[in-house]
Amino acid sequence: MNWKKFFIAFIAAFGFIFLFGFLWYGKLMHGAHQEVPVLWRTEADFGNHFSALVFGHIVMAFFLTLACARFVPAGGAGGCATLGILVALIYAGADLITFAVQPLTTKILCGWIAGDLIQFAIAGAIIGGLYKSDSRSTA
Amino acid sequence: MKRFILAFIAAYIFLFLWGWLLNGVLLKDVYAQTPNLWRTQTEMLGFFHWILIGQALIVLAFVMIYASGFAGGGAIAGIRLGILFEIAAIGMRMGVYAVQPFPGKLLVYASIGGLIEMVITGAIVGAIYKPAPARMP
Repeated sequence: MNWKKFFIAFIAAFGFIFLFGFLWYGKLMHGAHQEVPVLWRTEADFGNHFSALVFGHIVMAFFLTLACARFVPAGGAGGCATLGILVALIYAGADLITFAVQPLTTKILCGWIAGDLIQFAIAGAIIGGLYKSDSRSTA
Repeated sequence: MKRFILAFIAAYIFLFLWGWLLNGVLLKDVYAQTPNLWRTQTEMLGFFHWILIGQALIVLAFVMIYASGFAGGGAIAGIRLGILFEIAAIGMRMGVYAVQPFPGKLLVYASIGGLIEMVITGAIVGAIYKPAPARMP
């Protein structure tokens, strides 16, 4: 494994996932989330738990980078984007279960699933582009 | 394809039973500490089919990923994939914990339960699914 390229791909994936999450879930879906305010922490309480959000994104980016680097034999942006979509389906399954047990609206559910698919497909493509293309050229 | 379907069905049955045991029995009292965050029992029954569909989607994606890059390694390869997936799930849970006011111990218990769930799911899929033998020219 090329650890230098792995690290670059991981940082790029983390940067994208975090920024996309802020824009999609934090800004674009803000109105939808406010329809069920009882489910969310207050601004102040969220600030106290912000480190958990950052660490969670680091873990997700690391997992996806590791999965792409080791388990997409064909490599490249396309192969890793496909893996990203499959991973997003797992998150979408978890979203459906959450919808069944928490009083979320259908709008929130659809927004989360669409966000998962876009987020992980693009993150996978970024990782595949940065990591695999170089691995092939140096092989 | 036959083994793909068998692996899917076996893993799905396990995931359903474990999900019920973990969330419906073992963690029942922890969930009860934050009643505002959850649907009522009656309401949940009306949404029960979404749990079935969600679990089916998780198992389907798991078996597809296993079949596309892990197949041939047996139960050990399945367990490795399960652990990898649980790492991703812990990341997701931490993100949810940052925005939803559920207790920290629920995050810990759900992650331990999730690790057991994914290890056994991986072992089941890895033990049942075998790649098709390569054809000789």
